[in-house]
Amino acid sequence: MSAMRASDMNIKGEVVAMLGFAGAAVTLWLGMMWAPSVSISAFKAPDAQRIFYWHVPSAWAAMIAFGLLFIGSIYWFFKRSDWAWRLHVASSEAGLATGLMCVWSGCIWGAAEWGVPWDWTDVRLNTFAILTLLSLYLVMGRRSQPDGVETRDTFAAFGMFGFALVPLTYIATRLWQIRHPGPVVATSEGSLNSDMSIVLFLGAISFTTLTVGYVMAGMRLTKLEMRLEELQGQYEERMK
Amino acid sequence: MMGIIDLSEATVLRGRSKVLDKWSISVNSGEIVCLAGENGCGKSTVIETASGLIPLENGSATISEQLVRDSEGRRGRPNFGLCLQDDCVMGDEIVGERILDAAGFDFDVQGLLKNWGLDHRIHDRVAMLSGGQRRKVALLSGLVPAMISETPVAVLLDEPDSGLDDDSIKNLADTLRNLAAGGHAILVSSHDSRIIEVSHRVIRFPFEEEKFDQEKGKFTLIGKGNPRKSNVGHRLNQRTLSGLANNGIAGLLTLGAMLALLDPTQLEGRILTAFILAPALTAGLCGNPIHRLSLENRAYAWWSTKSAIPQNAIIHSLILCGGLTFLASMITSGFNWQLILSGAILGAATEAVVGLLSNATLRLARPNAVMIRLLTPILILPWALVVDTLTA
Repeated sequence: MSAMRASDMNIKGEVVAMLGFAGAAVTLWLGMMWAPSVSISAFKAPDAQRIFYWHVPSAWAAMIAFGLLFIGSIYWFFKRSDWAWRLHVASSEAGLATGLMCVWSGCIWGAAEWGVPWDWTDVRLNTFAILTLLSLYLVMGRRSQPDGVETRDTFAAFGMFGFALVPLTYIATRLWQIRHPGPVVATSEGSLNSDMSIVLFLGAISFTTLTVGYVMAGMRLTKLEMRLEELQGQYEERMK
Repeated sequence: MMGIIDLSEATVLRGRSKVLDKWSISVNSGEIVCLAGENGCGKSTVIETASGLIPLENGSATISEQLVRDSEGRRGRPNFGLCLQDDCVMGDEIVGERILDAAGFDFDVQGLLKNWGLDHRIHDRVAMLSGGQRRKVALLSGLVPAMISETPVAVLLDEPDSGLDDDSIKNLADTLRNLAAGGHAILVSSHDSRIIEVSHRVIRFPFEEEKFDQEKGKFTLIGKGNPRKSNVGHRLNQRTLSGLANNGIAGLLTLGAMLALLDPTQLEGRILTAFILAPALTAGLCGNPIHRLSLENRAYAWWSTKSAIPQNAIIHSLILCGGLTFLASMITSGFNWQLILSGAILGAATEAVVGLLSNATLRLARPNAVMIRLLTPILILPWALVVDTLTA
């Protein structure tokens, strides 16, 4: 049996991720250089507001990653599918990457606009940070354990229960607007300029593409890792 | 008709392999079934599955016709005796108390311990015993529910003879024979010929079964008194002061550090409330102090077959967190019962949540390596909301 299969060399995920990455770079450039400035009366630090074109799409992408994490976790838990476990692994890594992008950019904006990078009483800030920490926990915790049904069950359970924070994070600014701004897109107020909307839309598409590509590539890599472990086991059996 | 111990169509995965595949076994009243076979063949998996410690992919485990665990995740906790390969006894448990806790009733524990050469150790902590003596305590914990029962009780023993001397193994073999004569059902895994010799059925993995006629023993019932409430968490906490030494010190250090940095007379509003409630939060974030003790010898596994609620000292935690908040309150703004009550509840609830998070990882191969503390910042949010609410 050949150790390599045709599907092992399929790099569609990497190509999609690179497209998303290029789109994110263009979004960042447009956001910084082309998008119109906000009113100086509405913000204390109007220039810092441009980080919004990075912050909002990365938050959007993180939510997609957390959604995929939930699907992978629940499907592994009830169907014991290797595919679902690979989705869990890849989407927890994607959630960590995009979540950190969002938290980090939010802290920069908060420091400029509010004078403090963080507010421990703001529900939106904290639930989102916890989701990111959950991804970090899943990524680091999984690497500390030998792969097996006990490891997969435990982390899948955390992935499932952690998802409860996603709707809470989403509605947080509607229920308790403490410090984080409320929604500016898809609301009746329609407060976003059309040029701003274009850049934001491009950002959302690019970050979604980047996340989907990362998850595809991550699933392939996890599959390769699992095959490597299987081959090592077969080799050790043969050596007995 | 169902046996006393029943594993039905059990499929069990461990690590990346399927150890049991739709496997069934039934142990009837008055029967001793011995599982034999080389290391790693699945004997312990059968015992732990039958006791409900391992989740099933398929099938169910029942004891005395009551569900222990099934593949749908349902779980019950019927009365049965259990001795696992690990001793599952915390070093700070007292020998006599442990046997009484395992029985669930008061009875003459001194007489029982005398038969096993442990009566002089009745008031000692388990940590003071030799390995063989500790094994005897673990073994008696598994046998005692049957010894005090007139009705048939299931007894699950995983290599109970390991670490025992020859006389004790002979005593064990006789005891098993006598318990079977009393109608109890015994499932035991062992390599020892003396245990195999008293068994009615021997199952050699992978799954060859032999049946034997056995000489009947004589069952002597040990008379039991009133039912016993274990409260083992509170007893252990009182004995070891673990809550004070871990959670309490963390809370006091927080208070001390804040006093070193801030002038309490200058504090007001939200900062003052946060100052007063911070030590209770820190104490809570240290988690359940009994959880750490129960990791010793895998004691948590044995206790989880007795109660769905992990061993804890929640009343002590309420008092500790209330005390810390009282101290912080008196240093700053004087007595405030509302803040003290909030601090007590907040600290104890935080401790319970951290304890539950830690408990959720116990199935892992390396539960201490998963950095559960990464998830604890979520507990700052309720604390901050309480601070805001009490300040408003």
